[in-house]
Amino acid sequence: MADRLLLSVDIGSTYTKAGLFLADGEDLRLVGRAARPTTVDDLGLGFAEVRSAALAGRPGVRPEDVPVYWSSSARGGLKIAAVGLTPDLTLSVARMAAASAGGKVVRAFSYELADDDLAGLRAVDPDIILFTGGTDGGNTRVILHNAARLAEAALPAVILYAGNGKVRDRVVDILRGRDVVTAANVMPEVNVIDIEPARDVIRRVFLERIVDGKGLSSVVAATGGGPLPTPLAVFELVRTIGERVPDWEDFALIDMGGATTDFYSHTEAFHGGDSVLLRGLREPKLKRTVEGDLGLRISAEALVRSEAAFLEARLAADGSDLDDLRRYAADVSRATEFLPAADRGRRLDATLAAACVRAASLRHAGVLQRVFTPQGGFQVQRGKDLRRVARLVGSGGYLSGAADSALLLEACAPGADDPDTRHLVPEAPACYADAEYLIPLVGNLATDFPAAAARAAVAGLRPLSSRAN
Amino acid sequence: MDAPRVVLGVIGADCHSVGNKILDAFFSEAGFHVVNLGVMVSQDEFLDAAVESDAGAILVSSLYGHGLIDCEGLRQKAVERGLDRILLYAGGNLVVGKTAFEEVERKFKAMGFDRVFPPQVDLAAVAELLRKDLRSRKN
Repeated sequence: MADRLLLSVDIGSTYTKAGLFLADGEDLRLVGRAARPTTVDDLGLGFAEVRSAALAGRPGVRPEDVPVYWSSSARGGLKIAAVGLTPDLTLSVARMAAASAGGKVVRAFSYELADDDLAGLRAVDPDIILFTGGTDGGNTRVILHNAARLAEAALPAVILYAGNGKVRDRVVDILRGRDVVTAANVMPEVNVIDIEPARDVIRRVFLERIVDGKGLSSVVAATGGGPLPTPLAVFELVRTIGERVPDWEDFALIDMGGATTDFYSHTEAFHGGDSVLLRGLREPKLKRTVEGDLGLRISAEALVRSEAAFLEARLAADGSDLDDLRRYAADVSRATEFLPAADRGRRLDATLAAACVRAASLRHAGVLQRVFTPQGGFQVQRGKDLRRVARLVGSGGYLSGAADSALLLEACAPGADDPDTRHLVPEAPACYADAEYLIPLVGNLATDFPAAAARAAVAGLRPLSSRAN
Repeated sequence: MDAPRVVLGVIGADCHSVGNKILDAFFSEAGFHVVNLGVMVSQDEFLDAAVESDAGAILVSSLYGHGLIDCEGLRQKAVERGLDRILLYAGGNLVVGKTAFEEVERKFKAMGFDRVFPPQVDLAAVAELLRKDLRSRKN
């Protein structure tokens, strides 16, 4: 009996959550769950508690007989510094690779690394430095310069070299004595993206080396296996839903929390068509962006700064002003567990949440610009087209509890631009809430049980209708 | 020895794609590694591609008559971006109207282009010049 039970655990920065699943033929059924505050000083304690709690109703089952699949975003998650050559090419691809591997880009650098940059790198103390630049056979001068700078900087981070493949051996040689791993070039040719190899290495590095520094080794010892970075579990779940669930090929998921808003999309980036031209990088079908300045608590003040114009307009419509919101943001950024009981807090939280959803969508989506040429009117697309996204899922504490689709539909805001520019945000998606908090717990099972995990995740979503009154 | 790398594209708001495909096929066949950016390419896109790929030359096409304004400043920008020694070629219908080619050539060379070609040209001869220019730039 016990061999059909699976335990999934996510160690978040504030809560450690567990879901007990029964593998029932082709399906996964949630049969128990538990949550405990994350024990920051020893993450293993919270893990052990939540495991016992999840199995409490099953006296015959020994915890060590139930396989555990787990993820962690505790202690800042997976911090990645991205190094590229030009901002719009390799650095942009490096950011994409880092986000798709479940990491958070804490700093980004282009061209030659200067003294200031090395000081900046040291200050953010990344887990991984994703070092890219040059196509295969392309630039070597800046790459070798940066390799030498990273060698002399002697930072504790793992250095993942995924740049010009022709100088890979020389780079490894220059970095001898440092913690170096390599992957295929993230941009082997101009405008050609190949981030899967780097993603695989980042995942492996997280499992094998970073886990210790995050205080997770006791959990590894207890479970016999390593964790996924939480966003990677979600990323793999989005992939398997998009690939396997009928009518879910084109969908997006927004995970909004206190610190960041993550946007995942599964849809073709470019559909072509007469007189529509793609410029710049062709983005991948499966994409994650993570916005460090869009969050309801820790990032609330940054959010008010980034989205001041939108917030001001929205508040004016309510007869309120930005100063009141600024005060609120300052308060809640220091009280990260605060849940408003009064009207004012609820109203301001809703305003902040709208700004997060809207900005995360606009930043994830590309733009279409009308261009008039001597050969007639053309449309130039840059970035990813989300207009075919037919379903939109909200996850994370706030969005999971959404009463209707109004908040998620902020993702369809056209943006304020000139009439010749159109943001390629979703148009009229059906909306869902992760009301059972199954994401990312099901995500932990997505790699080993892709079809069942995809079905279980979708079955657990609550459809949202338009505003209830 | 690796094939010499060149960046190719049609500059500005110019959508003429047929010639671009012919040039790509021809220069690839002639032994060059062509980084083809296609049509409607901005100056920055040419330069980013040249930096990343360590190209020895940028081959700029323009067929709609606005070549002069689109190409202005490309040399200075290349120097600013660290591409001090990159070769710049331009070709096509570079200027509207009946301006004599010698005049067009003079203007483009004054803007820092190394070679300028009229609408009709023997591509084999261009490839030969390109090889020679790339060799002399290396030394």
